[in-house]
Amino acid sequence: MDHLLLMIWHALLVSVFFAFLWRSTSVGRRNLFLKTFLIMVVGAAALGWLMFPFP
Amino acid sequence: MTAKESKSQKKRPADAVKDQKVEGKNRASISLLLGSWFLPGFGHWRLGKKRRAGVFAAVVFCAFVTGVFLHGEVGTPKPASPFSWLAAFACLGNGILAVGRLVWLNGLGGLVGGFPFGLQGGGSPSAAGFAYGNTFLYTAGLMNLLAVLDVSDIARGEKD
Repeated sequence: MDHLLLMIWHALLVSVFFAFLWRSTSVGRRNLFLKTFLIMVVGAAALGWLMFPFP
Repeated sequence: MTAKESKSQKKRPADAVKDQKVEGKNRASISLLLGSWFLPGFGHWRLGKKRRAGVFAAVVFCAFVTGVFLHGEVGTPKPASPFSWLAAFACLGNGILAVGRLVWLNGLGGLVGGFPFGLQGGGSPSAAGFAYGNTFLYTAGLMNLLAVLDVSDIARGEKD
């Protein structure tokens, strides 16, 4: 099981949900989706990388 | 009365909603909220937000099914673990999906007879995806509960 794929799948579902919950226009939804999705995926990867030195 | 006067006396829909809010009459019906909780997407569908309803239902369903396939456990209350109540609350947010899963695991008699501490939530703690599965199950339930709050806002005229 690929943990990265699971994380991306989770981020995708949550981003789609909040894009439709908080925005009512197509452009607004697309922008919010991209923003939240990238923040979650890139943020998680960055945090994982930062935690490398710690046991 | 001139046409201009009658036009000025007519209330716009937004004003009517505002008046109702002031009087405290504009509330979402309990049946709508319960239906929205039990069947993800139902509330938005009833309010005419069919696209949003479809997306919410699909997202909640996909997240729940992913959680189950990853051997996640549907949260059930445990006497020695106060936090298990929070997990149970989050998972029950899935409505019919959580209830169906509990019936699947416990049987209808077991669900009624075992409530609250004798329920089996399934899942396999030794499985690699157990924690991930739990996360998907909790997230799906909490998203559905947020959708219920959204239905309430729309029904009260607070949101489009």
